[in-house]
Amino acid sequence: MTSKPMNMVQALNSALDNLLSSDDRVILLGEDIGIDGGVFRVTDGLLAKYGAERVIDTPLVELGIVGMAIGMAIQGLRPIPEIQFQDFIYTAMDQIINQMAKIRFRSGGEYECPLVLRTPYGGGVKGGLYHSQSGESYFAHTAGLTVVTPSNPYDAKGLLVSAAQGDDPVIFLEPKRLYRTAKQEVPDDLYKIPIGKAQVLQTGNDLTFITYGSMVPTVMDTVKKNNLDADVLDLRTLVPVDKNAIMQSVQKTGRIIIVHEAPRTGGFGAEISAMITERGIDFLYAPILRVTGPDSPIPYRMEEYYAPNERRIMNAVKKVMESA
Amino acid sequence: MEQQKKEKTESEKPRYIRAYAAMVLSRTLDKKIVSAQRQGRVGFYTPTMGQEALQVGISMALEKEDYVYGYYRDVPMMLHRGVPIETIINQIMGNSADTAKGRQMPSHYTSKAMHFMSVQSPVASNLPLAAGAAYALRYLKKKSVVVTTFGDGATSTPDFHAGMNLAAVFKLPLVFVCENNGYAISLPVERQTPVEISLKAVAYGMPGVKADGMNFVEMYNAAKKAIHDARSGNGPTLIDALSYRMGPHSTSDDPSKYRTDEVKEGSDRDPLVIGEKLLISMEFADDKLLEKIRNEAIKTVDEKFDACEKIPPPDPMTAFQDVYKNMTWMLEEEVKDIL
Repeated sequence: MTSKPMNMVQALNSALDNLLSSDDRVILLGEDIGIDGGVFRVTDGLLAKYGAERVIDTPLVELGIVGMAIGMAIQGLRPIPEIQFQDFIYTAMDQIINQMAKIRFRSGGEYECPLVLRTPYGGGVKGGLYHSQSGESYFAHTAGLTVVTPSNPYDAKGLLVSAAQGDDPVIFLEPKRLYRTAKQEVPDDLYKIPIGKAQVLQTGNDLTFITYGSMVPTVMDTVKKNNLDADVLDLRTLVPVDKNAIMQSVQKTGRIIIVHEAPRTGGFGAEISAMITERGIDFLYAPILRVTGPDSPIPYRMEEYYAPNERRIMNAVKKVMESA
Repeated sequence: MEQQKKEKTESEKPRYIRAYAAMVLSRTLDKKIVSAQRQGRVGFYTPTMGQEALQVGISMALEKEDYVYGYYRDVPMMLHRGVPIETIINQIMGNSADTAKGRQMPSHYTSKAMHFMSVQSPVASNLPLAAGAAYALRYLKKKSVVVTTFGDGATSTPDFHAGMNLAAVFKLPLVFVCENNGYAISLPVERQTPVEISLKAVAYGMPGVKADGMNFVEMYNAAKKAIHDARSGNGPTLIDALSYRMGPHSTSDDPSKYRTDEVKEGSDRDPLVIGEKLLISMEFADDKLLEKIRNEAIKTVDEKFDACEKIPPPDPMTAFQDVYKNMTWMLEEEVKDIL
């Protein structure tokens, strides 16, 4: 299998290209994804290659993009809609929560809704409060949705292929701050990374970092720079989360720090924390700490103060290591 | 010439009789369910009486390969399309024979076999789905048309706008049928929107047709043209089917709080009375035949209702299945705690 260095945008583009060429039922739709190649260029070149019937520039209507994709999926296609920024998805939330997530259940399994809703999320591009949100908890709270977020180019492609070849609707959150920050060797052909499996990025004995998506490189940089003897778990899938990988590490280190960009209150870290205490409080040497975005909208000019950074992560490290 | 016309008309006769029979069956079932609800044998129901002619008229114009993305008052259309009456009753009962395994409250039907998409409660959110379905069917080179139905209240929603605009932009094989029954629960259509609903089509560059939804023949003709246009690649049409919700919004609603009954059962505007007059004037039926159809409907409804009522409730486990294709570990754990 040939491969080449790709950033996350290129890896996602390669995944979509492979999916379109291998399955006629795959259709892309969204705002500016055709002739413009998407505002982040993830769909660049695909219109020319596959035509306007399969790479559809839609009117500016998020609920319509999502609703149409659901109808396509019900009739047997494999649509991959794009919402330009996750911040704009909320007018489609009724479609996502009351249609997409419930088609299989409410029809007694007669109908299903296999689709992947891609959307860039999180900060990092100086987008202010309407181009930077991390709303994963909204989706994770809805039964029927699978929630996936990659943290590197290789995973991005493999997870997107798995999501597109599954039989349930997937919310695919792309951390836009990592779109072009790193390149990895990525195969040109189709390959899959399983949904529901975390990746252990590094093993250690003192403490465990549990993170995902946009914060993975921040955590890894901090661990390396400070020579921390830590397990680092990249969840990759939030729903269904990899319970076994989490609990294995909890049993080993007993000191847990959860890092995510989304606001703390009701964030996905709270779910992980509760899950760990429910089934492993006896393994813990210290309170589980969360390092997260604050409970405020993400600001434009002062954006650097918003997402977790090395200093805040190291403060948490000191606290968990000082506990008996 | 006269002979030819007569033969042609004569060949249409079974079609018209079948349409009337579906209207009568639906009305009979409607009354049965409402009365069963009052006796505590059914939890809830949204009656359809008053909207039989408009739905059956649409259904007459549909082919087998067509699809309906309907709403919770579409029993007459379903019955005419060939959905077994048991499917309706079992759904109302939420029993173990229900296609949706008792998961949805009454009036939220599903029949994949008969191309009827499962019904959701949020009003109008089926319209963008119908657009996607129409796009997919055309893409798959099928000759199918999609019909989507909704009430007059739906025309105020963003989903109505989205569905209409997308269908028009992509010139989809889709027909929008507004089952304009005069009220969205308590709000009269005049307060829902200041223009006639058919005029809304102008904003999307599609034909908007006003049709008498109390007259099944007129509805059939309006639907035939719209469906033919959609199938021929000429794009969508909006049909404003003027009718009247003769019952309450639901069995939990008391319409006397906000209106007087403008159309009474058995009156000149009752779609069944209009239908009977049409059949008699076309010499397709006489009083004796109509009487026979009515009696058969009563017999069918009583028998089927009683039989369906005896079917046991679903297995409790089904309440947690079909959330995903394979149950998640979280739900497995939760179900262990519940069952």
